[in-house]
Amino acid sequence: MITVCGLEKNYGRVKALRGINMHVPEKAVYGFIGQNGAGKTTTLRILAGLLLPSAGEARIAGYDILRQPREIRDVIGYMPDFFGVYDDLRAGEYLEFYAAAYGIRGKAARELRDYLLELVDLSDKRDAFVDTLSRGMQQRLCLARALIHDPQVLLLDEPASGLDPLARVEMRELLKELCHLGKTIVISSHILSELADLCTHIGMVAEGRVIREGPLNEVLASSQERKISLRCLGPVEAAVEILESWPGAKILNRAGQQVEFSLSDGPEEAAALLRALAASEAEVVHFAETERSLEDTFLKLAREAQVS
Amino acid sequence: MSSRKRSWPAGAFRRMGLNLRALGQGIREGLTPMLGKEMRSRTRGWRSPVLLSAYLLILSAGVSLSLWLMLEQANIINPQIGLSLYGFFVLTLVMLVAFIAPAIAAGSISGERERRTYDLLMVTKASPLGIVLGKWLASVAYLIFLMMAALPVFAIVFLFGGVPPATLGMALLVATATGMGYGALGLLFSALLRRTQLATITSLILIFIFIFGTLAAGVVASSVAGPPPYGRYGPEFGPPPAAPWYVYLSPLTALGSVLPGGNINYMMGQGVPLLGSILRELLQHLFQGGIEYAYKMGYAYPGINVPQPTGLAAWEPWARFTLYQGILIIACLLLAVLSITPVKPWTAYLLRRRLRRQAVREASNFEAGG
Repeated sequence: MITVCGLEKNYGRVKALRGINMHVPEKAVYGFIGQNGAGKTTTLRILAGLLLPSAGEARIAGYDILRQPREIRDVIGYMPDFFGVYDDLRAGEYLEFYAAAYGIRGKAARELRDYLLELVDLSDKRDAFVDTLSRGMQQRLCLARALIHDPQVLLLDEPASGLDPLARVEMRELLKELCHLGKTIVISSHILSELADLCTHIGMVAEGRVIREGPLNEVLASSQERKISLRCLGPVEAAVEILESWPGAKILNRAGQQVEFSLSDGPEEAAALLRALAASEAEVVHFAETERSLEDTFLKLAREAQVS
Repeated sequence: MSSRKRSWPAGAFRRMGLNLRALGQGIREGLTPMLGKEMRSRTRGWRSPVLLSAYLLILSAGVSLSLWLMLEQANIINPQIGLSLYGFFVLTLVMLVAFIAPAIAAGSISGERERRTYDLLMVTKASPLGIVLGKWLASVAYLIFLMMAALPVFAIVFLFGGVPPATLGMALLVATATGMGYGALGLLFSALLRRTQLATITSLILIFIFIFGTLAAGVVASSVAGPPPYGRYGPEFGPPPAAPWYVYLSPLTALGSVLPGGNINYMMGQGVPLLGSILRELLQHLFQGGIEYAYKMGYAYPGINVPQPTGLAAWEPWARFTLYQGILIIACLLLAVLSITPVKPWTAYLLRRRLRRQAVREASNFEAGG
């Protein structure tokens, strides 16, 4: 649905994007992860037609962002990270205004307004002035605005930023509902845990480059480093001795009879280590790979990117 | 053949990269919602009634004060009183409109940036041209509403009589042209400067220069040139020196043809306290005490066939001012459109050309390598 190839953006001498490549399949929920200043917002603004790239190409639903900007506007719904509202309009009027800006008027616009307000759970706020709504409500209203022309693709830049925990959960539920509606969604965020249970695909961006991309499970599995937790029945000294001498193993935590360590090689190496531990005096009762979080994977990849 | 003929303009424009249908759609989808929203917003809240009340209060107080002064001075009802009152009223109206118009328009685009609603607007199908037109027409509509609200004050003038409706129509035309032009100027600065306060101040300074600076510059220029020697008027010496073109940028020059006394002459601005006298002095200096007018009207040299001025020189000041305002409006609106377009057409074109050339170069390198 979205193909980006070698996208670059320079602001004078500053290189904001150094060749972004990404591929977002249809109906995917694509988490665009990166630290602040990594280039997420710039990429999304280019895709939304608000910025011109310095080089590179991008296509959304087959339309070229440089040659077919009008068609692009038909297929995308964009929600920026910081946005304002017209404080002198009511929530319903706000949606009608944007509907008219997409050429939807009259009865169709009113029906759409009611449907979208219901979708984002703001039906009872239809006649409330937009500036009286809470931040979370305004965020949901802005999402409804992005949906007003029924776009195939949603570009959401930090949709949960500035929201309290409850509003965050509500926003996540809403996004899940949109997934069920078959939208292709690109969500940028620097809070990684936010995206873990939402995304089907992930793109990790650091210093203006996508450092890893693909289906969520594949990206997580592709990281070679394993975190293993080990527990012994008695003292752990024997196990610690083996771990310290084992190439690629690094102890991260040690508490009582439990040790947490990382292993840089693959599953074969883990099996060999377990054999060595079993043959030793260490009475191992638990040896298991802990689930790697998106956060760990990202930090490791970001470090690798910085080193390279 | 007929179908080719019918599709000719659209086809020709498309070849030039212009899709007329898309252009029309973009304008409609920007203009209609923007006009509706702006008009709705302007009539909401406490600001609108306060502004309207202050404006009408200033106008009514001015007219009442002027009427009171005239009656005090004369002790009798002078037949000139209607004309003088009309002069005062028109001048105040034009000045108010000239300074209110940019104040209304200067926040329209910078306000979108300050509120962070600009991006949301730019990703819709509304075109920048439609948005600019919608914003401008909304401010013009509000100005016309202000002028309409002032019309009952005009009624006092008709109580005394002496003002032909055509003159009144021309005065309203000058006021409307002033508001439309200076509104467009305010809108342009609003698009260029991003901060409402800065846009308002800049446009007000520029408008001050347009209104008074042009006349002052004209007076200085004609003083430097010096008047023609006494008695050197006549068909053999050609027409008297014309006022410089830029004095017609000032609405005060335009008022020369709609204020009491008919055209620019010694009666101009009579009855308008202080400003009227200054204005009269300025315009008499610029227009050589009515010689130019007399020449233009053909009775400077009765019985002698003198060549009449042609082109712009033959235009009445109000018509010339309206023309210049029209040019100002078009220029300001087009510049504002270019300024708010997020992706400038020429930079997009240059990038496309660069990418195309790069692709061709790479292909030829590949072929050479292969």
